[in-house]
Amino acid sequence: MTAARLARPLRAVITAALVLVLALCPVWGGDGARSTLIVFAYYAALAQMWNLLAGYAGLVTFGQQLFIGLGGYTLAVGCERIGLGVWSAFALAAVVTGALAVPVGALTFRLKGGYFAVGSWVIAEIFRLSFGNWSYVSNASGMFIRPARSVDPWLLYYVAIGLLLGMVALVVATLRSRAGLGLMAIRDAEDAAAGLGVHVWRVKLLAFVIAAAGTGLIAALITVQTPFIQPNAAFSIEWSAQVSFMAVVGGLGTVEGPIIGAAIYVVLQHRLGGSGAIHLIVVGAVSVIVMLVAPRGIAGLVRDRWGWTLFPVARRPPVKADRAP
Amino acid sequence: MTMQLIETLLNGLLLGGLYGLIGLGLSINFGTMRVVYLAHGDLIVLAAYFLVVALVPLGIPALVAAAIVVPVLFAVGWALQRFIVGWSLGRGILPPLIVTFGISMVLQNVLLLFATADARTLQTSLASSGVRLGSITVPTVRIIDFAVGVGCLGLLLAILGRTALGRALRATSDDADTARLMGVDPRRMYAVAAGISAATGAVGGVLLSATRTFYPTTGSEALLVAFEVVVVGGLGSLTGTFLGGILLAMAQLLAALWPGPSYSQVAAHVVVLLVLVFRPQGLLPRTAP
Repeated sequence: MTAARLARPLRAVITAALVLVLALCPVWGGDGARSTLIVFAYYAALAQMWNLLAGYAGLVTFGQQLFIGLGGYTLAVGCERIGLGVWSAFALAAVVTGALAVPVGALTFRLKGGYFAVGSWVIAEIFRLSFGNWSYVSNASGMFIRPARSVDPWLLYYVAIGLLLGMVALVVATLRSRAGLGLMAIRDAEDAAAGLGVHVWRVKLLAFVIAAAGTGLIAALITVQTPFIQPNAAFSIEWSAQVSFMAVVGGLGTVEGPIIGAAIYVVLQHRLGGSGAIHLIVVGAVSVIVMLVAPRGIAGLVRDRWGWTLFPVARRPPVKADRAP
Repeated sequence: MTMQLIETLLNGLLLGGLYGLIGLGLSINFGTMRVVYLAHGDLIVLAAYFLVVALVPLGIPALVAAAIVVPVLFAVGWALQRFIVGWSLGRGILPPLIVTFGISMVLQNVLLLFATADARTLQTSLASSGVRLGSITVPTVRIIDFAVGVGCLGLLLAILGRTALGRALRATSDDADTARLMGVDPRRMYAVAAGISAATGAVGGVLLSATRTFYPTTGSEALLVAFEVVVVGGLGSLTGTFLGGILLAMAQLLAALWPGPSYSQVAAHVVVLLVLVFRPQGLLPRTAP
């Protein structure tokens, strides 16, 4: 990463301008823009969490739908069965998914590489099938979340945008921390990282728990918006297909990538509407092509060509004047 | 009750032959190129659709059609490896996972688009016939599952252990760079391995179509079965893979007996969890090629 970066003030101005445009949506946009941007915000936030695992921690997973389902069901059960308010149940979703990530991670980390990816999927399947057999959550027929219907859509919009900004800040903060440096070291060379004193297991689990809690929180928000949940949809592998597409096309291992990828995905979804099969064929084929032709995605191409990054997290070695040629 | 239990275990043993066969393909791909081939289940289902939707309606007898499906799937697996998956190798674990997952999505949804989501199965006289063993009746098709599964395992072990091709495959698996120095082209070997893997998948797909109904989404189910068979059996051991298949099939059929049919799928997943907790190396860890 020796390419020149955008100057710090310029980065701040671009970020502030984007945030301002989003914040002023009620002024320039209507209900259509609002619902599109809500969907964009939660896809971008979900992809951000997947990217933290696959792009930075070397934990490629096809099992994040476990935390999507659990986060959604925490909200549904909290509101409909326990009688919590919508926003307390929303906060509870992060706690439940984050706590469950500890035993799930402890178990699945025993599998390496591709087997970890599929092992996480199997755990999600266990939950999908069990929730389908569980009468407390109305089996496979699903639950309506009645209190969520009275949530003001613009409030939902600001929570969604806030959540996206929060997830971006969380990822940037994690990556700039000591643990983040450890994560990237693990991704690049696990054994070497361990040899240099990185607590590999602990750092991976930290990333896994952060991603699970973030994913659970976003899923709860999705469920507030729907407001309906069903095990076959909530624990569906399609979530993994979507978020991996966004992270790969946008640019793995970059903070901008998942946001760019989510924007492309939302446009694609609008264009292809109608048939689910054609949409998924395009998503699958584009993932394959991008992975083979431009494995660093759009953000990677931009970075390689012009050296631009909006959220730099790579460290630059200090330049010593006396070593300069 | 005891008879019912024995019948269930016997059925599990026999169905395990098919599960083991489904797992073999994943094991071969991982064994040679260290890739978890996420489209394996969809290749199995592709073979089943090719047989039931394309060939049998033309009036081709099932056995002849099966003899067409296997080499065609070998070619499909070979070509996918040579022209798509192969390009993703050597850059870490992520690219081949994304690529094979993408292929899986494309295959599954192409099947959905052209063959619809209707349940399919191969209509044969086998489906209803059974073999009586004392007071137990075993479906003939499951006996065939087991016999063909064991036959494929034997054939594979013979190819890997006793032929020049098998030696080259094992050499590539052990050390691709040194194999290249000895005149073995790893990319050719990977394509051959992917072809063999898809061919075992085709045999599995033919048996699957005669054993049960299937849908385009059965591909994901088959991939998970293959994965579980491999994890339970022990990574890198073909014989262990086979034992894993038997254990999983028994668990599924026992769970269908008690607590009930809607628990059979989850039972196999739970067995995998237990193996991960108590014996993460699997039943037979890394012995045979």
